[in-house]
Amino acid sequence: MFVERNEMTEQEQAEFERKLRYAMQHRAAPLGLKQRVLARAREQRKNVRGRSWAWQWVAASTLLVAIAGGGLAVHEHVEEQQKGEEARQQVLTALRITNKTLDRVTQRLAYSDR
Amino acid sequence: MRESLNWCPDFEQLVDEHQSMVFSLAWRMTGDRELAEELAQDVLLELHRHLHKLRSADHARFWLRQVTFHRSADALRRKRANAASLDPDVWVELEERHGLVEMDEETSLSVRIEELLATLPESQRAALILRYQEDLTPEEIASTMKAPVATVKSHLQRGLKLLRIRAGHSLREYVRGAQ
Repeated sequence: MFVERNEMTEQEQAEFERKLRYAMQHRAAPLGLKQRVLARAREQRKNVRGRSWAWQWVAASTLLVAIAGGGLAVHEHVEEQQKGEEARQQVLTALRITNKTLDRVTQRLAYSDR
Repeated sequence: MRESLNWCPDFEQLVDEHQSMVFSLAWRMTGDRELAEELAQDVLLELHRHLHKLRSADHARFWLRQVTFHRSADALRRKRANAASLDPDVWVELEERHGLVEMDEETSLSVRIEELLATLPESQRAALILRYQEDLTPEEIASTMKAPVATVKSHLQRGLKLLRIRAGHSLREYVRGAQ
């Protein structure tokens, strides 16, 4: 069937290829391979879930800190505005008093001139 | 497209379906059963991680072949780098070493062919494995190996010729005996 000449007839070629296909059938996978793969896949899923939880926790904490920081900043800003408003009112009151006092002095001076 | 939208892969079923293909491909590429087992496990776990990216059963099969082929080729190169002075026949692991004691004519011929296959250059061996184990066309082999079709056809022709020459008397005797 397999002669030592270089060229094969079509029939010989087909027979050789049939033998090759037969020789190269799939081998059975080793016992336990599937179980090991499935177990490792479960572990992977757990780790991914764990990592996902950790990331969610970090994200939530960051958000909380940001909200608290923002709240504090707003509070400080409002407080400063209030203080500013109070100071403005005080200055206005002082100006009103000064204005009244000046009015009174002006009136007295006018009276004394007469 | 419809298949890609509806495809809901069951990982366990995919492992069941493809584990022997992945293992056989890795074993025949590397010639090392233990390494092949390790590679098969890694490839199947990688499949688990990439499952969401696969669009169909055919895509999963193609992906598995491609990843197994490239992982095996990488492993083989690493192994060769670590043992550069060893004879190529060292890669061959015969069925007899794994407890296949009594073989019929056809099986012993298969073992001999596999043994000879393992002595071929890597690219020719890979092309022949994908052609005769996986029944792929040269175009599909080219896509799996990421090589031009002409190169794959050349590997197939040269590999077959070399295999036949190396087979020499032993194959002829086996075939005669089987007739």
